Amino acid sequence: MSQQQNLAPPVIELIDLHKTYRVGTELVHALRGTTITIRENEYVAIMGPSGSGKSTMLNILGCLDVPSSGQYRLSGEDVSKLSQSRLARIRSRKIGFVFQSFELLPRTTALKNVELPLVYSRTEHRRWHAVTALERVNLLDRMHHRPNQLSGGQKQRVAIARALAQQPDIILADEPTGNLDSQSGSEIMDILDRLHDEGQTIIIVTHEDSIAAHCHRVIKLMDGQVVLDKLNGRPTSLPRPTNRAALHEREVVVS
Amino acid sequence: MTVLRWPVAVLLFIPNQVASLISNVITALIQIWANKIRSLLTVLGIIIAVTSIITVVSFVQGFGNYFTNFLRGLGTNLVVAYPEAVRGPRGEFLKLAEMDMADIRAVDSFAPAVRRVAPRMVQRSSVEYGRQQVGGITLIATNELFQPVRNFYVDAGRFFGTVDVEDAAQVCVLGRELLRRLECDERIVDDFVHIDGQRFKVVGLLEAKGSFMGDNLDELAIIPWTTGLKMYPNARNYMSFYLEAKDESQVEEAESQLVHILRQRHDIKPGQRNDFGVFKQDQVLKEFKKVEIVATSVLAGIVSISLLVGGIGIMNVMLVSVTERTREIGLRKSVGARRRDILLQFLTEAVVLSTVGGLIGIGLGYATGYVATLHPQMVEVSVPIWAVLLALGFSAGVGVFFGIVPAFKAAIVHPIDALRHE
Repeated sequence: MSQQQNLAPPVIELIDLHKTYRVGTELVHALRGTTITIRENEYVAIMGPSGSGKSTMLNILGCLDVPSSGQYRLSGEDVSKLSQSRLARIRSRKIGFVFQSFELLPRTTALKNVELPLVYSRTEHRRWHAVTALERVNLLDRMHHRPNQLSGGQKQRVAIARALAQQPDIILADEPTGNLDSQSGSEIMDILDRLHDEGQTIIIVTHEDSIAAHCHRVIKLMDGQVVLDKLNGRPTSLPRPTNRAALHEREVVVS
Repeated sequence: MTVLRWPVAVLLFIPNQVASLISNVITALIQIWANKIRSLLTVLGIIIAVTSIITVVSFVQGFGNYFTNFLRGLGTNLVVAYPEAVRGPRGEFLKLAEMDMADIRAVDSFAPAVRRVAPRMVQRSSVEYGRQQVGGITLIATNELFQPVRNFYVDAGRFFGTVDVEDAAQVCVLGRELLRRLECDERIVDDFVHIDGQRFKVVGLLEAKGSFMGDNLDELAIIPWTTGLKMYPNARNYMSFYLEAKDESQVEEAESQLVHILRQRHDIKPGQRNDFGVFKQDQVLKEFKKVEIVATSVLAGIVSISLLVGGIGIMNVMLVSVTERTREIGLRKSVGARRRDILLQFLTEAVVLSTVGGLIGIGLGYATGYVATLHPQMVEVSVPIWAVLLALGFSAGVGVFFGIVPAFKAAIVHPIDALRHE
């Protein structure tokens, strides 16, 4: 069995991606020919100083924005030229966001917050999916609490549950521990680590090395270009076959 | 269990659209409740508009019913003709025109659209019974046809008959309010009262008619017109009369025949004014229609201005709300809301806001009507269901019309900018 067969299928393929936008009269070249492939169940940190293009990258990865040129394939589907409403559909089914400042709806219970993406994706049995997601972040006992009754770490766990609710292909976390104290922060990272162990593909945008250390792969951006793409020294991990890939392998063996 | 099965099934099959509409409404109600004072101030215009719709419509409706009932009580085909003042060239009063029994008989005989005629002579009199003396009573002298013509019947004893009229008998029929003021009950029938000093036998009591515009219609006594003329001989040249047309459609015709006959008999030249007046019940209705038109136009003015003010208020507060909740919009978009979803959410919110205002207005309108009926002389007002629906429709319409711009503004918010919004 060759090394290639051992690799999980790619979730994200960025091919020669460019993004320019205008700030006032100035033309900003935020991404200049980025090419990255991220496979299933990878745990990736995207790093870089401000202005390096990592926010732009996050927006494009999250289908909040489209590239000026180049191709973005998400789970094999070219999403670089989709309309706004198609992008919204992709966001609701394939992407789970976790934001630095949680972005929970105030005056709305944790459960209802988690159900929100399911409302927009018109999923049935929302309550069940939401409860399952809350269970995965150990917040079942807080599901009827409102955000103002929750601690920062709990809020971020609700946000993670919300990202998980629709069983997305990737979770995109933007500085997930940025607004948290170190204890809550490590709690959140433990949850992300566990989700990764359960097979979830996770991409974290951060500028903290300690956060990046949890990830198995670190991509550094500078002036819109990838300047570093290295595997972290955790030998168990990379490239890690997903459960699905492992199953597939077993099937091949059987046949 | 089987009873429960189908409602559960229906609940499960509520289409997603309805479900998301309901969730939008709930979100909207939460927002409104979170900003109670702001929301209340915002919908003040709507409240005023709807309150005025409900109040004015119910009052107009109430008075309309009141008039209609009154006129129906008069007898639908009734016309009253009476002598009028003859005026000189500068409008000064010269004398009261004359009208006598010959005129009345002529109308009775020669107007084909007329079914019956009853003479009418009215005096202010005082009535005495035992120790009780009551003044300011309307004394009507007429004939035996009064009952069907005026649609005003006795319900105790009898009315006087043709013989009583021919004999100029000293008999009378009393109204219920007069009876009350005489402090007597139905035992007065066959007893004697004194009207303006003359002794009369009470043969019957009239049914109660209630009051109209503050005048009690039951404070009266009725005697044969022949008896009346004996008591007041001067009145013989100043008589008026009731006239009943053959049916409702012939009221106009009866009136013009009456006018024709009287003009001829009074020798009035073409171009000269009538020396008599004619009262038809649809004149009351016409007068009332004028009031109704004025009330309706005032209403339309108030309503359109306050709806405009209310609508602008809603637009303003929704624009503020969109700005305040930019991050929320960004979040909703990032978890998959389409522009359409956001548009619908904010539009629903505007409509819910204005409809809540409408509901408050309907409540206040009902309350105003209730307070008004506490006044003893007030007519009964009722709020017609179409006014409620109209008011609700108007307020929801204002919500849609003035909510569309803010909702559109929310829908086109760019998720990235929104999430960076402070």
